[in-house]
Amino acid sequence: MTDQLLDLACGLLLLTAVGVLWRRELSALITLLTVQGAALTCIAVLLAVEHRHAETLFVAAVVGILKIGVLPWLLRRVLARIPEARETAPLVNIAASMLAAAALTLLAYTAARPLVDLAPSPTARAAPVGFAVVLIGFFLAATRRRAVSQIVGVLLVDNGIAAVAFLATGGVPLVVELGVSADLLLAVLVLQVLTTRLRAVFGGTDLDDLRELHD
Amino acid sequence: MNPVAAALGAAFALAGSGAIAALPAPARWGPAVVGAATAGVGIAGAAAGGAAVSGTVWQAYLPDLLPLAGVRLAVDPLAGWFLLLVGGVAAVVGVYTIGYLGRDGHGPAARGALAVLPVFVAAMLLVPAAGSVSTFLLAWELMAVTSLLLVLGEHRHSPAVRTAGLWYAAMTQAGFVTVLLGLTRLAAAAGGESFAAIRAAGAGLSPVTAGGVFLLCLAGFASKAGAVPLHPWLPRAHAEAPSHVSALMSAAMVKLGVYGIVRVGFDLLGGGARWWWLLLGALGAVSALYGILQAAVATDLKRLLAFSTSENVGLILLGLAAAGVWAGAGQDGVAGVALAAALLHAANHAGFKTLLFCGAGSVLRSTGTRDLDALGGLSRRMPATTALFTVGALCAAALPPGNGFVSEWLLLQALLHQAPQAGTVLTVAAPVAVAVVALTAGVGVATYVKVLGTGFLARPRGDGAATAVESPRSMLVAMGLAAAACAGLAIVPVVAAPALERIAGELRAGPELFAGGGVDLRLAGIGSIVSPLWVAVGVIGLAVGFAAAGRALGRARRRAPAWDCGDGPLTARMEYTATSFAEPLQRVFDDVLAPEQDVDVTPAAESAYIVRAVAYRRRLPDRIEAHLYGPVIAAADAVGRAGRRLANGSVHRYLAYMLAALVAVLVAGVIR
Repeated sequence: MTDQLLDLACGLLLLTAVGVLWRRELSALITLLTVQGAALTCIAVLLAVEHRHAETLFVAAVVGILKIGVLPWLLRRVLARIPEARETAPLVNIAASMLAAAALTLLAYTAARPLVDLAPSPTARAAPVGFAVVLIGFFLAATRRRAVSQIVGVLLVDNGIAAVAFLATGGVPLVVELGVSADLLLAVLVLQVLTTRLRAVFGGTDLDDLRELHD
Repeated sequence: MNPVAAALGAAFALAGSGAIAALPAPARWGPAVVGAATAGVGIAGAAAGGAAVSGTVWQAYLPDLLPLAGVRLAVDPLAGWFLLLVGGVAAVVGVYTIGYLGRDGHGPAARGALAVLPVFVAAMLLVPAAGSVSTFLLAWELMAVTSLLLVLGEHRHSPAVRTAGLWYAAMTQAGFVTVLLGLTRLAAAAGGESFAAIRAAGAGLSPVTAGGVFLLCLAGFASKAGAVPLHPWLPRAHAEAPSHVSALMSAAMVKLGVYGIVRVGFDLLGGGARWWWLLLGALGAVSALYGILQAAVATDLKRLLAFSTSENVGLILLGLAAAGVWAGAGQDGVAGVALAAALLHAANHAGFKTLLFCGAGSVLRSTGTRDLDALGGLSRRMPATTALFTVGALCAAALPPGNGFVSEWLLLQALLHQAPQAGTVLTVAAPVAVAVVALTAGVGVATYVKVLGTGFLARPRGDGAATAVESPRSMLVAMGLAAAACAGLAIVPVVAAPALERIAGELRAGPELFAGGGVDLRLAGIGSIVSPLWVAVGVIGLAVGFAAAGRALGRARRRAPAWDCGDGPLTARMEYTATSFAEPLQRVFDDVLAPEQDVDVTPAAESAYIVRAVAYRRRLPDRIEAHLYGPVIAAADAVGRAGRRLANGSVHRYLAYMLAALVAVLVAGVIR
């Protein structure tokens, strides 16, 4: 039962990552990210239940609050302040992005095989999903123009890393998770400030405008 | 409860509370709070060191304090010696800070810079107390970072401070990396990271591994100690840091580089090959000579003292090298004397350099300049500071009855008493080392005569010196304490004998070094005796006797104008300056120092033979720095410029780089 739920959560994790790449509306991206956060929290809770580990449950609670509550809320606040609601012209078009995502997922599965072989358990077998999400997140950040898309990309990367950590080790020490979460929150806050300032200076949030700052 | 544990605990608690109390304290009280806390930390640290050198050992393992490795502390007599040294210096500097930064004070009074001071001292106490590689590295890095913050204290006032900070940051971090590489390699080879585990496995390491570890650690430790050619940060940082920080760094922090070499070379690696110690000896000899030559021609008071630090570190390293070589040759007795000489000189240097840097701080505080050419005449306006500085200069010049004399005498004894069967290399190296020590001592005397004569005596050559006022009482008290410590070390160094014997025994299992009691220093293995007390009594007695006899028997004094060639009264501009005093020395060592001089003669309009003005400019660039570091910096700069083409400002490009690198690594993993 737990295994099936775990597989379901992992599937949801990957599906939402691909969905983020597919949708153009920025508000839809945030919704998908929230769903992905919920899937990640599910994974953590399931692992905590399976190992009967209170600390992991606490970590799961922290992850849940951050990824379902705080981060989407911050992103929606950013979105409310900027006029563009759509990713109009990504550097790589949607169809090609889908193909790239497929290739990256394939790469993630082959590259993660040695890791899975280390401890072949149902949880570890799902770890490549995390790798795939990391790569897709990077791809998103590298190919989208809007600042919000890039924040979402960075958050995907983090979700992927967290998923790998949970799945491969069966729970992350509280100290590590707290450190990572604090980092992430800081990154999002910085990007939020950046977006607001960008809009104030350039009237848009196309990050390519930043090139003007380079001497 | 173990006294070492109690004292160290008190030190760290005081440091923490002092740092926290400094932040909200009102600006008027900040220096007093921090100074008192720093002095308290120093006293507690010295107490811990005192207990440790008298034979109390202490070990502790605190697994929960840090993740992964925990904190491991181990205090033995060797650690105790350096705890005592750091603690003593900090106690004096703490008292000094109260006046130096206090009302109308000099230097940074920003709360952040104040709060870092006790933390820096605590970090310096933690370095010798560390009992494992991870704890040691943590303490080392904490010490480096806090000292960097303190060096940058006056960054708003001058761009030179920023340059100094940059040099210091780059070199201390590079040194940290080499120490990190060396110690982690050592821990991996030994199969454990606690010093006890490494010590147990140390003798069984392969010569290549042990030699590599020693070289890596030596690079980092020697650069922290300011040994030439790893020294360029030192004259900059010591000169530009606020003076109380200079004193802490020069007297205490630099010694921890020496501690690192002793701990790794003698203790953890258990001796090692002869070439290690010959290399160290060469490093020491070059440092001693180059340091004192640069000091002799320096005109910036604090830069001069900084180069003198390089010189003294060179002598200490020479002693360590002799100890390593003799121990490898089976002459444990002489090796013990050499080690004792090095450790005693470390303590002596800590004493007089604290005093001298505090004195330099007093001068800087009341005159606003460090330029010896613009000083002079301070003996009338700042008599107490001058008297105390004289004590420090006497000690630093290694003249009896100063404390530098005792340790340099020990060092010479160790170098002179080699066994006849020592081999060709040593029969050449030992006399060369003796010559180096002798030359260093000679130039050292000239250097400190220059400082005293041109900086404090005669008449003021600048406005700052002409309007100088005596320093506040707390600064004088601090310098008095340092002078008293120097005097103690100079007259009864025999009190340190049991501690030195204990350390030598622990490291080398050598025989008894010092024979007999009393106030004489008798070297058991060599048969030499020196009696610092009677030397002091004799020298002072002779000096007083000659003065009295001269006054009683010589012609009566009379006041008369000095001969001035009929060209009006003599002015202060006609005095010897630091530059002109050092000119003969500069001429002798012209090939080594390669000064850049420039003489501009402006003739009068009427005739080419009438000179209206002569301008003399001299610059003494650090040649080693220019030739060794210049090309490296230029190459790094070129690489950096080439690398800028990769970065065109597009965020997408940067992210794509990251993605491409990640994918490349993963693909490489799959293919392999």
